[in-house]
Amino acid sequence: MIENKRQELAVEPNTAPKTNGLTRGVRHANWFSRYVRYRHFYLFISPFFLLFAVFGLFPLLFSFCLSFVNWNGLTAMRWVGLQNFRLMLGDEMLGTALWNTLIIGLLYIPPMLVMAFLLAQLLNAKWLQLKAFWRAAVFLPCVTPMVVISIVFSLIFSSEKGILNYVLSVIHILPVPWLTSEQWSKTSIAILVIWRWTGYNMILMTAGLQGIPVETYEAAAIDGANSFQRMMNVTVPLMMPTFRFCILLSLLGTMYMFDEIFVLTNGGGPGTSSLNVGMYLFDLAFQDFKFGYASCVAYTIAAVVLIVTLAVNRLNRSQEKEFVS
Amino acid sequence: MAGHVTVWSWNIAAESLNSIRPRFEAHDPKVHVIVDMTGAQMQMRLMLSIVAGVGAPDVSQLQNTDAPYYIATGRLTDLTSVAGKYRAEFPAAVWNSCVLNGHVYAVPWDIGPCAIYYKRSIFRRYGIDPNQIDTWDRYISAGSEILAKSGGRTKMLPMGSNDLSTLFGILLQQSGGQIFDGQGRIAIDSPQSLEALDVLRKMRMAGITSDVPTYSQEWMAGLTDDSVATYPGAAWLSGMIKDSVTAGKDGNADWGVFRLPAIEPGGLRVANVGGSVLVIPAQCRNKPAAWAFIEYALCSREGQLAQYRGSGIFPALLPALHDPSMDVSDPFFDGQMVSNLFTTDITKITPLNKTATWTEANGYLNEALSHWAATGMTKEDIFKPLAQTMSRRLMVDLAPGVSNVSGAAVK
Repeated sequence: MIENKRQELAVEPNTAPKTNGLTRGVRHANWFSRYVRYRHFYLFISPFFLLFAVFGLFPLLFSFCLSFVNWNGLTAMRWVGLQNFRLMLGDEMLGTALWNTLIIGLLYIPPMLVMAFLLAQLLNAKWLQLKAFWRAAVFLPCVTPMVVISIVFSLIFSSEKGILNYVLSVIHILPVPWLTSEQWSKTSIAILVIWRWTGYNMILMTAGLQGIPVETYEAAAIDGANSFQRMMNVTVPLMMPTFRFCILLSLLGTMYMFDEIFVLTNGGGPGTSSLNVGMYLFDLAFQDFKFGYASCVAYTIAAVVLIVTLAVNRLNRSQEKEFVS
Repeated sequence: MAGHVTVWSWNIAAESLNSIRPRFEAHDPKVHVIVDMTGAQMQMRLMLSIVAGVGAPDVSQLQNTDAPYYIATGRLTDLTSVAGKYRAEFPAAVWNSCVLNGHVYAVPWDIGPCAIYYKRSIFRRYGIDPNQIDTWDRYISAGSEILAKSGGRTKMLPMGSNDLSTLFGILLQQSGGQIFDGQGRIAIDSPQSLEALDVLRKMRMAGITSDVPTYSQEWMAGLTDDSVATYPGAAWLSGMIKDSVTAGKDGNADWGVFRLPAIEPGGLRVANVGGSVLVIPAQCRNKPAAWAFIEYALCSREGQLAQYRGSGIFPALLPALHDPSMDVSDPFFDGQMVSNLFTTDITKITPLNKTATWTEANGYLNEALSHWAATGMTKEDIFKPLAQTMSRRLMVDLAPGVSNVSGAAVK
């Protein structure tokens, strides 16, 4: 493909020598004639770029501008410069939201990934029958509509009439105020998230497992490694990139988690005990109509997330290199 | 006057307006009304079309509590010259949210006077006389009696700790408290608020509350089983109760209604929750026709009474509210005459001052209350820090002292 393109470029009659200021005009004409020549192809790929420009790029730039104004959506915008950012530094509710996000993440990410890994191992085993069925069964929560989940889980977690507390009472454990106490609300959300997203992570890990060459296991087996040693010394190291990818996705998911919290704890309750960043942003923008301030917070969070993502990616790459060398 | 008038409204409110359309068109034959039941997305669509300056209907419904926010945008038609004269015909509690700086931008439609719905069967079984329950203290002791006699099975009322602000708002109206004072400053930190909070605490401590989220599956289940004895609520709640509870062949569901208990003996036994208004967006091209419809539907006894009879919408218009024909016996409530019961003393309610940031303020109130509930309702005072939070986040001053709490409308 690339070779073809190079050849075509080479036969272009007006190809000018590089880095010659005098011929810049010619080069522009050259580009333009290329656009004209390949216009059909540009036309074919244009829908994405048009849609992206309208629904992706424009809101992105617009909300950046909004970070510097006060605007409730109806009255005129008022330029406030960096005042939104200054407000944000003293915003104790944002602090709470970030703290809650961290705690919820710590509560669910480790158990979820361990379970996903073990399930992926199990459902990847050679002796297992009906693999597709089991995988689908574990994956199902992830495609179940949130409305259904919300009804079912509020019945499970209900303090007074909940199934979970009934089961606990049968085994003589005192009822737990799952959704009505500030100590337990984050745990309840973590349980829901684990239930909902373990299957998804399992699929990612299954893909990772299947990418490990069989030869490595054979070599390990010949060297006398038992199955536990094979897992710890072959599977786990080779799965590291997949683990990091899953962790990153989960971190992002925790930051912008919305529907789980919206339906389960009435959008962050009790008090602000389960308010996370995503929910807080929603409240700011669409409950309080503080579009300017919401954009400012969103941009700042996005910047932090970007930095963390880049750092994790860099880590990934350097470790991969290490492994290869 | 001639032309088309499009109206945006929702649910039974829309049906109700639709049902009086023929009468109105007989009245004003050249005006044609189209009622558009826009449903759940209406708020957002209305907001977008008001921002865009095109696409809004000629007349739109708004929730009473949302009206100040829309009015503050300056994109609604000033109705002072035509609607100002009706001021005395509506309870101050609802008229308040229609006015900004002395100008009228909306007309109250319906009101939500509150009372207590109760299950007659449970009260009979445990020998409780609803007529004796005239204070919250008596309500709580009746609740304790029911709880004890039912072996802990029947709670007096549902009180979801995630949604305490509605019940608190009812109590605050009874105690004469305010969230905002007459100048729009934060007045939540007051003895009246503490009084209201105290009632909630006593209910919880007595163990007579069922901690289920309002309108959740469990809440609805309580309507039809024996787990809950009473439901404090507005007149419009009866629609939901009637939808869920199966009545006997004669339409009698063996439910009843008694008046809201007072905080102190002889205190106010009514409060208002919810209700809607109609507005005319500034971009409306046919304002005289739009106003003619609003005037007929909301400011005429005939229009309001027809809506009450057709859809059970409680008129905000006082002459309609006090019309003798309002009081008919309701078979669902064992033939009880309920509408007078709901509306007695409705004009005595201290109106809660609404501001453009009402919804946001209410959010902070709800957060503080649910935090308080989750920590066992033991804290004596939650309002000092709440007032600070509200003041800081809404960028509004604190009201100086509590003396001017019951101020006039937001001017």
